[in-house]
Amino acid sequence: MTSTAAENTRAPETEDGAERKIVAFFCRECAYAAADATGNARVSLPTTIRSVLVPCTGRVSPLHLLKALADGADGVYVAGCLEGQCHYREGNLHALDRIEFSRALLESVGVEPERVQMFTMSAADSPKFVAAARKMHETISALPPLKRK
Amino acid sequence: MRCGVFLCECGGNISGVLDLDSLADSARTHDGVVSISRNQFMCGTEGRRMIEQAVEERGLDRIVIGACSRRFQGPTFERIARELRLGENAVAFGNLREGCSFIHRDEPAKAQLKAEKIVSAAVARARFQSDLPRGRTFLHRSALVVGGGIAGITAAEELSGAGIDVHLVEREQSLGGYMARLSKTFPTEDCAMCSLAPQLTGAALDPRIHIRTLTDVTEISGPPGEFRVKLRQRPRFVSEACVGCDDCTAACPVSVSSEFELGVTKRKAISRPFANAVPSLYAIDKRGPAPCKSACPAGTSAQGYVALVAEGRFDEAYRVASGPNPFPSVCGRICTHPCERACARGEVDEPVAIAALKRFVADHVGPETVIEKVPVIHSEKVAIIGAGPAGLTCARDLAKLGYRTTVFEALPVAGGMLKTGIPDYRLPKDVLEREIDQITALGVELKLGQRAGKDFTVDGLLENGYGAAFLAVGLQKSSEVEITGAELEGTERAVEFLRRLNLGKSVSVGDRVVVIGGGDVALDAARSAIRLQQTSGREPNVTLVYRRTRAEMPALGEEDEQAIEEGLKVEFLVAPLEIVGKKGRVSALKLQRCKLGEPDSSGRRRPVPIEGDVTEIEADTVVLAIGQDIVCDFLEGCEDVSVEKGQIRIDRDTLMTGKSGVFAGGDAAATGGWTAIEAIAAGTRAAHSIHNYLRGEKLFEVWPAKAAEARPSAEELARREVGQRIPAVLLDRSDRCASWAEVVGGYSEEEAIAEASRCLACAVCSECEACVRACPAGAIELDQQEETEELAVGAIIVATGHKEFDARRKIPLGFGRFSNVVTQSQLARLLAPSGPTAGELERPSDGAVPKKIFMLQCVGSRDCTSSGNEHCSAICCLFATLHASLIKQHYPDVDITIGYTDLRAPGKSHEEYYRLVQERGVRYVRGRVGEVMEEADKSLRVRFEDTVTKRKNEELFDLVVLSAGLEASAGTTEIAHVAGLQQGSAGFIKEYHPKLKPVDTQRAGIFVAGTAQGPKNIPDTIAQAKAAAARVVSMLSAGFVLTPAQVASSNLEQCIGCGICESVCPQGAVKLSGGDNPHSVVDANSCRGCGICAAECPSGAMTLGGYSDEEILAEVMV
Repeated sequence: MTSTAAENTRAPETEDGAERKIVAFFCRECAYAAADATGNARVSLPTTIRSVLVPCTGRVSPLHLLKALADGADGVYVAGCLEGQCHYREGNLHALDRIEFSRALLESVGVEPERVQMFTMSAADSPKFVAAARKMHETISALPPLKRK
Repeated sequence: MRCGVFLCECGGNISGVLDLDSLADSARTHDGVVSISRNQFMCGTEGRRMIEQAVEERGLDRIVIGACSRRFQGPTFERIARELRLGENAVAFGNLREGCSFIHRDEPAKAQLKAEKIVSAAVARARFQSDLPRGRTFLHRSALVVGGGIAGITAAEELSGAGIDVHLVEREQSLGGYMARLSKTFPTEDCAMCSLAPQLTGAALDPRIHIRTLTDVTEISGPPGEFRVKLRQRPRFVSEACVGCDDCTAACPVSVSSEFELGVTKRKAISRPFANAVPSLYAIDKRGPAPCKSACPAGTSAQGYVALVAEGRFDEAYRVASGPNPFPSVCGRICTHPCERACARGEVDEPVAIAALKRFVADHVGPETVIEKVPVIHSEKVAIIGAGPAGLTCARDLAKLGYRTTVFEALPVAGGMLKTGIPDYRLPKDVLEREIDQITALGVELKLGQRAGKDFTVDGLLENGYGAAFLAVGLQKSSEVEITGAELEGTERAVEFLRRLNLGKSVSVGDRVVVIGGGDVALDAARSAIRLQQTSGREPNVTLVYRRTRAEMPALGEEDEQAIEEGLKVEFLVAPLEIVGKKGRVSALKLQRCKLGEPDSSGRRRPVPIEGDVTEIEADTVVLAIGQDIVCDFLEGCEDVSVEKGQIRIDRDTLMTGKSGVFAGGDAAATGGWTAIEAIAAGTRAAHSIHNYLRGEKLFEVWPAKAAEARPSAEELARREVGQRIPAVLLDRSDRCASWAEVVGGYSEEEAIAEASRCLACAVCSECEACVRACPAGAIELDQQEETEELAVGAIIVATGHKEFDARRKIPLGFGRFSNVVTQSQLARLLAPSGPTAGELERPSDGAVPKKIFMLQCVGSRDCTSSGNEHCSAICCLFATLHASLIKQHYPDVDITIGYTDLRAPGKSHEEYYRLVQERGVRYVRGRVGEVMEEADKSLRVRFEDTVTKRKNEELFDLVVLSAGLEASAGTTEIAHVAGLQQGSAGFIKEYHPKLKPVDTQRAGIFVAGTAQGPKNIPDTIAQAKAAAARVVSMLSAGFVLTPAQVASSNLEQCIGCGICESVCPQGAVKLSGGDNPHSVVDANSCRGCGICAAECPSGAMTLGGYSDEEILAEVMV
């Protein structure tokens, strides 16, 4: 992991120069553990991401996703266990359903659906965790700040 | 809220990146924050003292920790809060280390801003955190161990040692599991049974271990600590009185493939898997009635006598065949044998010739059987009206029960329709007479020429000393047919025609006979007419006319073939219109041609006349054989008995008529079809009912509900070799038509044994009761029933083990097709001193010692194709090495090659053992096998590639051994479903955490051990079993468990009772209450706090402790 730290590419700045805010819901069983492993390896990550610990991604409801966007976040993502590896059988699949639902809802009101995403990984897969965080950061930084009425 | 913020420097890990003073200043601005502290290590004793002090001095009710990830020190701070009586949910966490300082070291300014947000979010969250109630569950100091292999036994022993009562449940008939099957164990090469047997005995003698075998767990409910477990114990059919003498297996005629010996040899239907079995009792594998028994109206154990015939035990077979049926010789000839239609062998090729076997055994043994008079033990006399099969069977059964019985018969001969309806060429009279004589020999009195209603009355009998009567009067006349010309001379009615013939009266027929009808009576009349014509020197000229086609004909198939051979002409699809007469004599029959229409109520297609298509056959005799009718003479002087639609009215369960004490059955009061075997069955039932009536017992408990029949699966049937039944010998056509000699010959002994050997033993136990007679201890209890039981236990250990991968799935390897391809486990049996060959290595095809053996590794393991499993089965490399070593030591000249993918020998002394065996001369070749082919001499040609030399090889071997991998056993899958446990690849139970909680499952209080969790060797299995036992001990030693804090709960007022929460809960912890306004109820003990229900709840009633919407959103919105 230290090599990842060494080759840390500075997060791309946004066109307008303002930093975005991304809310990330991490499952306690996998993504949060991967986040801890990433931290312990001192891998640099974009400062845009603010993590929220949940016991299972199945706890995350559309309310949480949409409220985050309505209240200042430019993007939201959920990181859970690999398919078939959920500690509560199908919590990650429930989360995926709700993300699809939220994306469809956003699209219907003219908001880019890619502002809401889902990633899966094992607790041991720090590189995948880093890749997810960077991809989300790049996606959201490439989009304008989320306009709210 | 009075909140204190505690910032940790983490020895510079945090303070080296973040300015904690500035962070403290920012935190101070939040509402409710009344105290800020910082320390080098907040998780240390100094930090703890700071928190205690602040709580006391500043009156804090919330604590915000700005430190490392909650996953590391969360429990430390929660514990402090709990001990300070704030409750663990008084703590909120801001992850300043993994979430900030560690990952933003090169952007300190941005990191500082983010840290302020993190602390702010934690403070915001803390405001919504409330104390979470926790209940206590008191623990049952007992445990359930599922699976009686070495893992289960070991765990049980450990638990018992800790003073915990253990219920050890095993689905097989003995404890021992897979280890009991092994010959020796690696790497020490010590005998498996030598290590296992003391464990087995120890478990059996341990007063705290309650062993239940043949038992399944059907339900697990309730919280950890007080699980409620439902068990279903299958009957063993052998009581504790069993002394293990083994006399029963010698007596049992049924042999099936032995599960314990992995199909290497056979076992009997009553068996004990191995000598050291625990419990030591034998058990009967009785799967329900066989299809043949189930189909027989009289419930004859056909599989039983067939099995006994196959063993040449004719006397015993006769006893079984004649048990429920006093007419086995008769029925062996004329029964409609529904048993053969049900016979599963019919799905492979042809049904077993059950009737012919019955005839063989009855003819063979019956004449020599001496019948002794049965003593009369009851005072009541019973009158039986009618000496047909129903009446005589009833009389026999009552006589055997100790009643004095008198059979009144109107005709001068006994036998009813068997005598007067069936011609000699089908049923020789001496056969019938012999069986009737055997009935009278019991003490049954026969009064011939006594017609009820004329010579005596039923009421009169009851008034004069008879306690009950059975009306078995039959259908003694032909049905009246409305057809023009029925009165003409030359018109015969079949029943009366046959009766005259069979009573030896003079009967003649014309030169051109037409018989109308398609049943047995019609055929009997037609074939009799042929014989009458031929015995008087004429050419046969008999035509049978039937309204439908041959497919709908009720007569037995083989019989109409014989009739046609004899010269019978048959006209199908013609209905009689008119018997044409000349000068008062029959001259022709006018017929309407028909076609088949829709099926009628009997399921047969109805004949529909073809308009205008009328034909005529010349005839001088017309025999009407369209149905029989009751003769009601007996009703005279028989009050309260009535006849409706040609049948005596009876209660179908008890066979009692409208008059108390008067019963009826057989053709005159049929409850099934109008056949001899139905009449016999009715006789038996009537005898039971009369006995119950006379003894004052309940009448309606006579018939036990019919149990589901046992039948081999379609897959098993498909594997059977196709053969054919042994045909019966028929009398030559020329010999038979001019005489009344019996047409169908019986089997010879050899033929009977060969035919009986075709039986598939559907029900395994054939209910022949040979074991009952053989058991010196009287331990056989064939009427044992399945039992259910409910237990309360504190904890559960699942130790349900594995099964060997089914190598048949690897078709090119030839397992199941070639006899000399075996699995490594089968080889274990062949090498075991207690195995079928007493430890001598014999190849299955010819028993010779193989000279060249190929062992193939990774069969079904490390295999990414759809027919295999991805995992490594962990034990196979050393399992093969062990067997190779054992063979090399006993037969040094045998050449052994092990074809491996990678040789894996980790673990103590394993690598050393592998090297040793290599030095003993076992050849290890890296490479996979393409195909195994069988040569004419049953040796095997193996094509394999040596992946080291890259050379393709093809060699001949005498024996191929497949190291088939491990998969979850059926029991493992079953318990996973019952207990709601997750299964991973190949069905193994998933542990809660692969490293930290290797014996915990997803369900609290349920632990897993041994190969149910994954492939492993015996020492690892035992270690895991002891670990699981230790987990149970530590759990139960607490006396009680706190319900977890972070559980779901539902607000009754908001709940709309939709039930979504119940459907999504992975633990089954949420249930809807009953009643008119159902609402969700959470079992806090079972909930594991995932929160799926809270996210799915449409009304917002459901929430998760510590993760309410408010708590989550407070964090999100900062």
